[in-house]
Amino acid sequence: MDKVDVTVIGAGNGGLTAAAALAQKGLNVLLLERHNIPGGCATSFCRGRFEFEIALHQLSGLGTPEMPGPLRMSLDKLGVMDDLDFVQISDLYSVHNPDGFHIALKPDKDQVQATLKQAFPHEKEAIASFFDLVYQYANDMVGAFIFRDPEPSREKYPRLYSYAFKNAGEVLNDFFSDPLLKAVLSVYWGYLGVSIDQLSFAYLAMVLWQYLEFKPYHVKGGSQALSNAIFNKFLSNGGSAKFNCGAKQILTTGDTVAGVITDRGDQIVCDYVVSNVSPIVTYGLMIGEEKIPENTITEVKSRQLSTSAMTMFIGFDCEPEQLGINESTNFLMMDTDMSIRNHERMRRIDIEDELMVLSCYDVSDPEFSPPGTCQANIVTLKYGEPWLKIPPQQYLDAKFRCAEQMLQRVEQIYPDIRIHIEEIEVGTPLTHMRYLGHPLGAIYGFEQQTKDSLFFQPGRYSPIKGLYFAGGWAGDNGFEPTLRSGVAAARSIAKQLDQI
Amino acid sequence: MRKGIWEEFDGYDDIRTEIEASRLAAKKRSFTLDFADQYIDRLHPHRLVLEVADLIIESGDTLTFRLVPTDSMLPPFLAGQYLALYLEVDGICTSRPYSISSPPNQIGYYDITVKRVPNGLVSNFLLDQTRKGDRLTFSGPQGNFYFNPLVHGSTMICIAGGSGITPFMSMIREIIERGLSRKVILYYGNTSSDDIIFHEALAQIADQFERIRYIPVIENASNDYQGQCGLITGDLIQETAGSMAEATFFLCGPQGMYDFCLPQIDQLGIPHRKIRKELYGPPADISQDPAWPPDIIPDQQYSVSVKGGPKISAQASVPLLVSLEKHGVVPPSICRSGECSMCRVKVLAGKVFQPANTPVRKSDSQYGYIHACVSYPLTDLEILI
Repeated sequence: MDKVDVTVIGAGNGGLTAAAALAQKGLNVLLLERHNIPGGCATSFCRGRFEFEIALHQLSGLGTPEMPGPLRMSLDKLGVMDDLDFVQISDLYSVHNPDGFHIALKPDKDQVQATLKQAFPHEKEAIASFFDLVYQYANDMVGAFIFRDPEPSREKYPRLYSYAFKNAGEVLNDFFSDPLLKAVLSVYWGYLGVSIDQLSFAYLAMVLWQYLEFKPYHVKGGSQALSNAIFNKFLSNGGSAKFNCGAKQILTTGDTVAGVITDRGDQIVCDYVVSNVSPIVTYGLMIGEEKIPENTITEVKSRQLSTSAMTMFIGFDCEPEQLGINESTNFLMMDTDMSIRNHERMRRIDIEDELMVLSCYDVSDPEFSPPGTCQANIVTLKYGEPWLKIPPQQYLDAKFRCAEQMLQRVEQIYPDIRIHIEEIEVGTPLTHMRYLGHPLGAIYGFEQQTKDSLFFQPGRYSPIKGLYFAGGWAGDNGFEPTLRSGVAAARSIAKQLDQI
Repeated sequence: MRKGIWEEFDGYDDIRTEIEASRLAAKKRSFTLDFADQYIDRLHPHRLVLEVADLIIESGDTLTFRLVPTDSMLPPFLAGQYLALYLEVDGICTSRPYSISSPPNQIGYYDITVKRVPNGLVSNFLLDQTRKGDRLTFSGPQGNFYFNPLVHGSTMICIAGGSGITPFMSMIREIIERGLSRKVILYYGNTSSDDIIFHEALAQIADQFERIRYIPVIENASNDYQGQCGLITGDLIQETAGSMAEATFFLCGPQGMYDFCLPQIDQLGIPHRKIRKELYGPPADISQDPAWPPDIIPDQQYSVSVKGGPKISAQASVPLLVSLEKHGVVPPSICRSGECSMCRVKVLAGKVFQPANTPVRKSDSQYGYIHACVSYPLTDLEILI
């Protein structure tokens, strides 16, 4: 029977940073991972001469060495910045419509407004005041929460008090009349998994502000390089890890963590566990529902599972320009509908007119794929549940049918792509269920509807003493929040240990 | 900061009401979602226990094992995919990938067709000691060697060598049994006409279906042999295949066949993207690799210490994975050809040889990870599994 200070279950972003931060503090940490590689979503896979990025589209929160963002500070503290090579993505995003509309935005407060004003001259004043609001809101947020104002008030932070819970779609409607402009400004809802009419303005404002201020980034070697660097730091700080080995059970004595039993049946004695696994699986399968207070279970059950995704990874035998891909991040949009219909589209298996994002890392990092080639990662959001209604014997047909529909959508914007495809791999919501182990393949954990987002997230604490959560199930999703969530969980454990 | 200042934000009361309503509604909902895991397990089981329902003699040294499920339905697969077989032979726990030779529309069984390999640990065990009714443990279907309707044209030019015919049997059977319009031109190379597997079946199919063409090519043919002799050359393909504009090339066979055929196809001006090559295990003799360091004697023994595990000896010309298995250290494995990355291990000290173009992730290489199934020790090693 092994004894460690902390067992970390899952080597996703949150698990990795938790493990690395705890090992850095000199604690004896065991990291368990079901797969043979660290990273969770932050991994890559090889096909032919390509290495495909799984999930990282635009890394937020990094900033520059002169003006570091929160993520840079966290990674710096973990000691991994020297091992990583970040590439600033030259564009914020582009939007393409099949009718020929195309707008390319730059990650700069002034440039983005100038471009928008040029394309939508009739909305000139509204554009300026909308971005003013975004910045004012972000400043309020930073003042009240990041700098932890001990005496916040409505007078000090008027935008925060009046806009935080306001619906993002409503705010756009208040400012603008042009439906296309509203749609262009709202595409980042895809990164949050909740259509714009259900998303709080807080998210739309913060995601725009973050990318404009701290710039979008990509990592050389993809997100796997980030995972490997953090894992390597964990090892060199004395951490130990078991791959191909998840946790079967978290042992408790009363309401306190006592240890972990691994998939292989090994028993680990420990007082602390960081779970990088959903609370549904952690409470329901690893601990047992009956050992968890009823109100915690009810709270977990009251949250909806987020969407999953249909993903295509394509390796091309030519450079991006030859395909007409001139920007890194491209939103392909069929219409400007911002209603609940977006949500309905996500509940359908087949692909028709949904919003898609096509990321081509080679635009900003020509070394990303082998010389003379490039790759694209194409995503559209789809819930997992409808896919479970497909008879298993028909699954592969459905997968190729939807991939064909998706490819046809991409061809509307980039007509020549098909004849340059050298490698192509398709991931359905079931693929995400399989590899992530997330219930229903929910890529964003719990759905970030206003009632379950912001201040109403589950957070890292649990009713079991010694058990903390890290990763997208605890709070916000995406690379920056999940990477930072592990650091936060580690901090809580260190604080507990200091008090003993 | 005062806790809960958001309670003063506009709209908070509505949210509070919504939260309370959703918790009330949640009480009736079930907590876990096991049904989804069970569904995934039917598509991608970690392990499949299959029973040998029949043994079919294909040729003197080749048997088809007809495998039926023991406890669940067979997962769907794409023609061309393989299963990894996990077994213990002479006290060694190991695995071998075998292409499925039955078509995917046959949902009652999988066939795998096994040819005897001289001194082959697993093939000899299967051919000599496996009987009807025995149970064998497999992975779910795996692999990326299949016709992809998204990008592949209407014609498949298939080049098989020896037991590399098996994935093509699955593909061809699917085409005729499901009435697909795809055309196939199959070049099937063997050393002698006695080695051909599925000859009668293929000849009969080609006879009956115009869209399936079968061209056996015999390397060392007797003087009275009527068919194509020699190797599968670019000229032969050019003369027999007709228009190649809509064709995708599929190759499955030993390394020697790839070494010869790929440059031939290249000379026909076929772009890289139209050539699919199946895995075929590690090279038969790694010391023949052009990049093999000349100062390393192939049968040199090195010591390999596994961190937290035993210290073993490993021969330079034997894949590290095989040496590990021989000494009871069994990393997970599936493809055993360098591609799937399951046997990824970290080299803490020492040096290995990996053939060029082994698909190791860039950052994995940077941190010393190797794919043990195609890695060969060049010094004493210390590894982390």
